[in-house]
Amino acid sequence: MRALLRHPVVNTAIKALGRNRLQTGLTMLGITVGVATVLAMMAVGAGAQRSIEQQVRAAGLNQITIRAGNWRPKVDESEAAVAHQGDARDSLRHPLERLRGDVLPIAFHPEDDPMEKHDHPTARQRLGDLEAGLGSAATMTFDDAEALRKLPGVQYVAGGIHENVRVYLDKKRWFTRMHGTDVMMPSIKRAWTFTAGRFFTEREQDRSSQVIVLGQVVADRLFGVGANPAGEEVTLWNQPFEVVGVITSATWVVQPAPGDDQFDAVYMPYTTTQRLLNLSKLNDITVTAESSGDVSRLSREITKLLRVRHGIGDNEADDFTLITQATKALTTGGLPPSVARAVASNVAELEKVTLEQLALTMERASRTMTWLLAAVAAVSLLVGGIGIMNITLLSVTERTREIGLRMAVGARRRDVMRQFLVEAVVISAAGGLAGIIVGVIASVGIARTLQWATVVSPLSMLLAFGVAAAVGVFFGWYPARRASQLDPIVALRRE
Amino acid sequence: MIDVHDLAKQYHIGDHVVHALRGVTMSVAAAEFLTIVGPSGSGKSTFMHILGCLDRPTTGRYVLNGRDVSTLPGDELARVRNETIGFVFQGFNLLARTSALENVELPLLYTRHGVVRAAERRDRALAALDAVGLTDRAEHHPSQLSGGQQQRVAIARALVTQPSLLLADEPTGNLDTSTSHEVMEIFARLRNDRGITIVVITHERDIAAYGTRTVDFRDGLIVSDVPNPFDSRLPRNARESLAQGKSA
Repeated sequence: MRALLRHPVVNTAIKALGRNRLQTGLTMLGITVGVATVLAMMAVGAGAQRSIEQQVRAAGLNQITIRAGNWRPKVDESEAAVAHQGDARDSLRHPLERLRGDVLPIAFHPEDDPMEKHDHPTARQRLGDLEAGLGSAATMTFDDAEALRKLPGVQYVAGGIHENVRVYLDKKRWFTRMHGTDVMMPSIKRAWTFTAGRFFTEREQDRSSQVIVLGQVVADRLFGVGANPAGEEVTLWNQPFEVVGVITSATWVVQPAPGDDQFDAVYMPYTTTQRLLNLSKLNDITVTAESSGDVSRLSREITKLLRVRHGIGDNEADDFTLITQATKALTTGGLPPSVARAVASNVAELEKVTLEQLALTMERASRTMTWLLAAVAAVSLLVGGIGIMNITLLSVTERTREIGLRMAVGARRRDVMRQFLVEAVVISAAGGLAGIIVGVIASVGIARTLQWATVVSPLSMLLAFGVAAAVGVFFGWYPARRASQLDPIVALRRE
Repeated sequence: MIDVHDLAKQYHIGDHVVHALRGVTMSVAAAEFLTIVGPSGSGKSTFMHILGCLDRPTTGRYVLNGRDVSTLPGDELARVRNETIGFVFQGFNLLARTSALENVELPLLYTRHGVVRAAERRDRALAALDAVGLTDRAEHHPSQLSGGQQQRVAIARALVTQPSLLLADEPTGNLDTSTSHEVMEIFARLRNDRGITIVVITHERDIAAYGTRTVDFRDGLIVSDVPNPFDSRLPRNARESLAQGKSA
C-alpha cells in the first residue's frame, strides 16, 4: 500500500489532486455516497438473507417430531373448530350486547370472558387441540428418547410433555402453554435468544428442580414489558417456581405473539413435570437430523426402531405420529388432510421436494433483491462516475498548459494519458475507501436503530472498492485521452 | 549541432494556407549562443518549435546532433525533447502550488529509463537549482518567488536532464530590465562553463546582444544573420562589466 502511494505516478496524481482539495473532495463525495449505498444495501440484503436462512433452519427443516398416538393432522380440524366456535359466540353476543355496561364483569381473566375477542386461541380452542393431553395413547417413554439418541445421523433429542396451565404472579395470572422439555431445546430451536437469564441446566433437570423459563409474551404479561423476571417466583399448580430466564425470537421474521405456542409459553424440565403431575410418559419426542437431506432416511429408521420397541406387529398401525417439515408443509398446503397424509407417507424423499421449492423461492427473492441493489448501485455510481468525468475534463482544460509543459519536457502521450487516468482512479479509489468506511458505519447504524440484521462481508467491501476503481477508469478514460491528444504547441500557448 | 535545410511550414486556418516558414537553411554550431529577433508573425516561434521537436516541418530537413529528427514518430520526439533539449518559456510555466524542487524534478519523471528514483531526482534537481543560485529557495512555491527567481527555476528545470541544447522563447518578456539581464547572464554562463548550445528568441535588441550571433526573421525567412559585437566568449569579467555598462 505504502509502496503504491509512493509510486511516482500515483504520488504525482495525489499531489495534483491535493492542489485542488475542495474540488477533489466534492468529487470523491459522489463516489463515497455511491459506494456507501452499495455496501449498506448489500449488508442489509445479506442480513435479510441470513435471517431468512436462520428462520428456515429454525422452522426445523431438519426437525422430526414424534407424537404419542396416531392422530390425524390437527391443522384443518382445529381451524374448523375455531370457525365453529366463532359462530357460536356471535349468536351468543347479540342478546347480551344490550346489557353490557349494566352488568358486572362475570370473569376476571380476559380469556374467561366469552364476550371478548381474543388475538390468540382461547383455552377452549387449545383444549380442542389433540396434543393437549396425553389421552389414551401414552406410548412414548424416556427410554424411547434415549434409544433415538443412539441412532446414527441424530443431532439432538428432546422429550416433551405439554399442558395448558395458568401461571400466577400474586394475583396476576396468565393462561398459557407449558412445555416440559429437555435441556437440549435451545440447541434445537436455533432462533431463540435470551432477553434475561438462561435456560435450565442439566443438573436442574436431573434433580427435577422447580425452575421455569418464560416466553417473552408471558414475561411481558406477568411482569410488564422491559422487566427482568429472572430470580422472581411464579406459581403453577400451587407450586412455587423460580424464573431462571426469558426467551424471545432471534429473528425479525418471527415476532413473539400471544398464542404462538413458542413465546406465549413456559418451559420447565420434563422431569419436573413428570414428578409434579405424576407422569412417566412423554407427549412427544423432537429429534433433529445432522443434515436436513437426511430427514427422510432418519424418519424411516425412527419408525422402524419405535415399532420394534413398542412391539407393533406387521399389520398393525403405528402408535405414534411422525411429523417432518415436509408432511407439515403438505398438510398446511391446501391438500385435504387425508390426501396429504397419504402422499406424505408414500412418497420417499418428500422433504427434498419441499426443500427444493423453498430454495427456489428464496433464490427468487434474493434475485429480486440483487436486481434492486444493482439498480441502486448503478444509479449512484453512474452519478459518481459522471462527477469524475466532469472534474477530470475540467482538470484537463484547466491544466492544458501543464500538459503542454509536460510534453515539452519529454512526456509521451501515453504518460499524459496515464497521469489523468491515475488521477481519476485515485479519486474514485479514495472515494471508494471512504465509502467503505461510511457504508460499514451505516450498516452498523441500520442494525442498531432499525433492528435489522446486516452483514458486511470482506467480499462485498472488495467488490464495492473494485467497482469504484472501475468507475474511475471508465469515466476517466475519455478526459485522459483528450488530454493526451493535445498538441503541445497549442497547449503551451493556452492562457 | 543544428542543421536545417530548406525548412518550410504551412498551416491551414480554414481555407487559408499560412506560410509560417518559407525555406530556412542554417546551421548552429555546438556551444553557440544564437539569438533570434523579428516581428510578430515572422515565423521565429514556428522555427523554435521545430528546433524544439514540438512540431515537424512540412518540408525540409532538420538534423540535430547528426540525426534527422524531422520525420521521427511522436514518442521518439518526446525522448529527444527529454534528453537533448531544455525549454525555457516566456511565462515560466511552473506548476502552481508545487515546490521549486518538484518543478525542477519534472523532466526526470519521463526519462528513457522511466521514472528516476526519488533520492537521485532530488540530488539532480538540487544540483540544477544550485547552477541558477536558488538552492535556498528549493522548497518555495512559485507564488512565493519573484519573476526572476521563477524564470531561474524554469532554467534549472531545463538543465536537469543535462541537455546539449537550450531553447528559450522570449525568456525575458515578462521580466524587468535588471532581472532580464540576470537571466541572460545565466544563459551566457551556462554556455561558457558547460558548452551548452543556446537559442533565445527576443524582441529586445539589448537582449539579443548577449548572443554570439543574431538572426533576423521576416515573413518566414532569415533576412540577416550576423555575429554579435559583444561576443559572450569574451572573458567573463569583461563581459559582465560590459553588460552592466549597458544597463546603467
